[in-house]
Amino acid sequence: MTIQTEPLKSVSDIERTTLMTFLPGRIATMLGGRRWRRLAPLAVLVVLCILITIANPNFIELRNLVRLANSAAVPLTLAMGLTFIILMGSIDLSVEGTLSVAAMVVVLLAANDSNGNDYGWWAVLAAIASGTIMGLISGLVQTMLRIPSFMATLGMWFIGLGLSVYMLGGSAIRLNDASIRDLALHRFLGLPLAVWVAIGAFALAAVIQYYTRLGRHILAIGGDEDVTKLSGVNVTRVRIAAFALAGFFFGIAGVLAAAQLGQSHAVIGDGRLFAAVTAVVVGGTALTGGEGGVVNTLIGVLIVTVLANGMILLGISPYIQQTVQGLMIIAAVALSLDRVRLKIVK
Amino acid sequence: MKDSNGLVFSGSVSRRTLMLGAAAGAVTLAMPNILRAADKPTLVTSIRSLSNPYHAVWKTGAEAYAKWAGLEHVTLVSEGNSEKGIADIKAMLAKTNGNMVLSSDPNDTPDARPIVEACAKAGAYVVTQWNKPADLHPKDFNPNYVSHIEFDGIASGKTIAEILFKTIGGKGGIVALGGLISTTAAIERKKGLDAALAANPDIKLLDFQVANWKSTEAFDLMGNLLTRFGDDIKGIWAANDDMGSGALEALRAENLAGKVPIVGVDGIKTAVDAVRTGEFACTVTSDPLWQGGMGLAIGYNAKIGKFDPAKEPPEHREFYGKAVLISHDNVEEYYKTNVESKPEIDWNDLWGRVTGAIRA
Repeated sequence: MTIQTEPLKSVSDIERTTLMTFLPGRIATMLGGRRWRRLAPLAVLVVLCILITIANPNFIELRNLVRLANSAAVPLTLAMGLTFIILMGSIDLSVEGTLSVAAMVVVLLAANDSNGNDYGWWAVLAAIASGTIMGLISGLVQTMLRIPSFMATLGMWFIGLGLSVYMLGGSAIRLNDASIRDLALHRFLGLPLAVWVAIGAFALAAVIQYYTRLGRHILAIGGDEDVTKLSGVNVTRVRIAAFALAGFFFGIAGVLAAAQLGQSHAVIGDGRLFAAVTAVVVGGTALTGGEGGVVNTLIGVLIVTVLANGMILLGISPYIQQTVQGLMIIAAVALSLDRVRLKIVK
Repeated sequence: MKDSNGLVFSGSVSRRTLMLGAAAGAVTLAMPNILRAADKPTLVTSIRSLSNPYHAVWKTGAEAYAKWAGLEHVTLVSEGNSEKGIADIKAMLAKTNGNMVLSSDPNDTPDARPIVEACAKAGAYVVTQWNKPADLHPKDFNPNYVSHIEFDGIASGKTIAEILFKTIGGKGGIVALGGLISTTAAIERKKGLDAALAANPDIKLLDFQVANWKSTEAFDLMGNLLTRFGDDIKGIWAANDDMGSGALEALRAENLAGKVPIVGVDGIKTAVDAVRTGEFACTVTSDPLWQGGMGLAIGYNAKIGKFDPAKEPPEHREFYGKAVLISHDNVEEYYKTNVESKPEIDWNDLWGRVTGAIRA
């Protein structure tokens, strides 16, 4: 449902087209232009799957597909929240902090090996609520104190991390509540419950983006905030709501992560911010905002997960795996964005 | 924080106790020297932080020794700041006029030199642990730089590998999870694994992957390794317990927990519990309680003239301590003596855990 605006190409734009921007643009034109480019992430995913299957047929075994879904569950839930923020043209760096607070809350309130609490599923609700509140605060700080989202959420990241370190006393605390652990261990129709939760999160995000006013306003802000404001949208309110929504998804992800690992420690979120941003961007959502969406992100998460799984299946040395990931990010972004139309590259 | 997580928390102190301790220390320091029995030296422990279980247990050991010896004890915390660590030690040297014994886990390798030089200049006795530059030697600072203690990563990696091989019957495939590539501990423990593999040709290392010391990364990695090798994986070698526990949860999600044995290093509580249930085959620990107390004991005995550092053999000046192995055979006893109650350590046995001089 993205609204495509086709800016009139001025003479100066054409003059600006140097060799570097000319080449990918030409390749894309040969492939059929913008319509096809939007499908580039999906094509990358399909090609990856085919290549890995040829190299190691174990890849398409049902057991492996279930594992793939399982390891995509937490990143997908996180990336759902992050997508809305990036669609707005903002960024949320508090992913790891919020996730670790949610994981800390659920572990400390449910049955654990550190205190006598045993609130069962209330702990899960409390964890999701604490994630939402963290997001709400990010949004309020950003809009009320006029602090850029980059700085506001960077602050929230460290606040969250500090809070978890303090509450957990620097150690790992185990989650003993069997019903919460069932999120990772119990299966329904062959898939762990965590995967169903992640699918639910995706469905919810899709409904919000495509069928609610909030979703359209978020997209509109990303496209052009001034125009949106002039059209009578309460931009401040939309921003706060978007950050709270992101916090809500991070909270769910925190619960899933704690359930999967059976424990919580302050660094449970380590590395998840980078993975989530990568997934969103690789899926084709522009960091400048206004373009892309949750479906793109779903594909992005799958690309990242399939690649990680594939590199192990192909036996690629751990010493160069990160290099491959870096190459893939550049390739995916180069394919999916129309660089010719970009006037400025920052 | 009851006995159930006693191992991890056996060293933890409530904030109130900490504040009381700090206040008491400050009051004591404010007293004139005469009131503090000037002839008795002050014991000083310098560590990185109290927020990790390892150093919290370290402090408990130091306090246990001080109580046993009837001496004053002060803990300095550098909070990962080398400058602060060194400055605090210099302040203590000034306050005690050099009449002190220091046991230090320097925040970073280069820190050991200024610490040792300051102590030697003030006439205090110092024992360093884990970190020192290769060209800094106790024998160059007789008698003040008494000893340096480390634990042999190669031996740890090898010991747990051998136990893993024995548990799976001496043949079959294993996968290994390594630590952050650039760290000394990761490199040494992998060397130990390689040595054990060389001695056991029937064991096949299916794959070595890096999970950067983290359980979260080990969790995802293990799922992928299960796809690639499936039932060929008979055992899992992890360079630390945290990664081992991440791999364990990945196994649990596939109903394989307890069927594929795991080994690790550190002796964290999760791992000790897993050894009890049979999901881990073993883990090894450097025993921070011993480290905390014995670092002070060695320095204090040199200080009061029980032995002359200059006359001690090289393997008493720079040595590897003996890591404690926790396996199926001794886990119940270990749990009883280390988790459910405080262990008894013979503080007179200064060299009982020396396993040899540190490799040059």
